[in-house]
Amino acid sequence: MLEFLIENNVVCRAVEAMVFASIACSILGVIISRMNLSSIGFTMSHAAFAGAAIGMFLEINPQVTAIFFSVAVAALIGPVSDKAKMAADATLGVLFAMSMAVAIFLVSYMQYSGRGLSAGSLLFGNVISLYREDIYALAAVSALTIIFVLAFYKEITAIMFNMKIAEASGVRVKLIYYILLFIVAISVSLTLNIVGGLLIFVLLVTPASIASQFCFNVRSMFVAAPLVALSISAFGVWAGFEYTLPIAPLVALLLTSAFGVSVLVSFKRRINYKKY
Amino acid sequence: MSIIELEGIYTAYEGGDKPVIRGLSLSVKSGEYVVIGGPNSAGKTTLLESINGLVRITHGTASVCGLDLRCYGNEVRRKVGYVVQNFYFDPFTPFTVEEVVMMGRYGKMGLLKRPSRSDREAAFEAIRLLGIEDLASKTIGTLSGGQQQKTMIAHNIAKEPEVLMLDEPFSNLDFNAREYLQGVFKSVAKKGTPVLLVSHAFDGLPDIRIHLVVMNKGRITYDGVCDAGEVESIIRKESGGGLRCSSF
Ligand SMILES: Nc1ncnc2c1ncn2[C@@H]1O[C@H](COP(=O)(O)OP(=O)(O)OP(=O)(O)O)[C@@H](O)[C@H]1O
Ligand SMILES: [Mg+2]
Repeated sequence: MLEFLIENNVVCRAVEAMVFASIACSILGVIISRMNLSSIGFTMSHAAFAGAAIGMFLEINPQVTAIFFSVAVAALIGPVSDKAKMAADATLGVLFAMSMAVAIFLVSYMQYSGRGLSAGSLLFGNVISLYREDIYALAAVSALTIIFVLAFYKEITAIMFNMKIAEASGVRVKLIYYILLFIVAISVSLTLNIVGGLLIFVLLVTPASIASQFCFNVRSMFVAAPLVALSISAFGVWAGFEYTLPIAPLVALLLTSAFGVSVLVSFKRRINYKKY
Repeated sequence: MSIIELEGIYTAYEGGDKPVIRGLSLSVKSGEYVVIGGPNSAGKTTLLESINGLVRITHGTASVCGLDLRCYGNEVRRKVGYVVQNFYFDPFTPFTVEEVVMMGRYGKMGLLKRPSRSDREAAFEAIRLLGIEDLASKTIGTLSGGQQQKTMIAHNIAKEPEVLMLDEPFSNLDFNAREYLQGVFKSVAKKGTPVLLVSHAFDGLPDIRIHLVVMNKGRITYDGVCDAGEVESIIRKESGGGLRCSSF
């Protein structure tokens, strides 16, 4: 899609992939970090990782199994927290551990049985060997995320404010919550083979945290977070190719540095004594 | 006509070892001013949350605004205003008072709709009624407890509910604000919307006939009509005189 800008096909796809992944993840990040559910990112990325391992074990397309497994885990979060009477956060922890166990079990088993599987690409991602379809899928999921936020903006903001008060006012909290989990599951599974399970968290949480340093309202957070994420990650991809550096960790480090800088320069915490 | 009609309802929290509300019946008619009293843990909050379907009713029949609660919980919540007893908004909550008041109408508006002009007018009217115009553009987490309480009341008034339930709405409010709000609730009831007020403080109740409900251990022990002046003494009597300090 950006071929007119970037001549090299590999670089072009890598930039596109990172840009779409950052848009989807950072918008979702604004929602989940406000809901104190950042660990969803953690759980989902490991569920996707486990799903991919299952796919490799069964010798079917790992991306498909990754999506299935993380959607299944997403569907479990709500009911498990209800039944077990736990905070969603604790449920996420349990499901995270379960996913990790499944993944490591399968990966180790395949190594014993000589079916040598490199978990490397799942853990660390690979921006270089992307297919055209991967990019389309990522573009579709970032479009889906944007449509979700625009269509249910009222409900999403009410839930971000306070889940119980939203429910008491008659907002369909459960419906929105499950759609949100579903979209997070898909976005994370698709982002898995680009940045890897270990770095997805950065894309989910850091842009939202940077935006929250400067923004006083959610509307601007929803705009600022993806803008910050996509510009930093596009720059990261370019710099990675230019100076032959590992791209995903570079983007992660750039985002984290940007967060550090934004905390230092944020005007939000300054008190204007002169006015008084 | 009864707006709230509960018959022999039981409600239990998931995982709770026994039902919190046990065989309770209550009927509230249009325009009534209902005061619900009783000791701590009597089940007052649970009763309110059963009426809007936040807590599941396990036995008995319940209809609110003509809707069967067991099938239409969400529809009921769109019609019932409910000011919760406890809330906490951290200082970084990125929502202004104006936005929070408008949110009261979100459920009512339905999915995929944007706030219309009449929605904005209703929200503004509620803000004006509560006298918090000067806070409208402040973020809610940076306000005092009483200001937040007023915002949450405005959130529910903006909703133009068919029933207004308030769970200890005065806990953070100063004397003037209490008296003023009692007047506001009275005028809400006058317009035909029943008001259900859970409270432990009965000064400044409006001088109208009051439908008093006293609860204890998940049951109603008193259900009748009285004057504002009698409320406190009836509750005292029904609650068994309360705690006595024996060492003095
Ligand atoms: N989420 C919950 N899970 C299990 N039990 C609960 C829950 N909330 C309340 N209860 C129990 O239900 C009973 C009634 O509580 P409720 O909050 O309705 O009392 P209340 O009359 O509102 O008291 P207060 O005057 O202190 O507000 C209490 O015994 C309490 O332990
Ligand atoms: Mg209570």
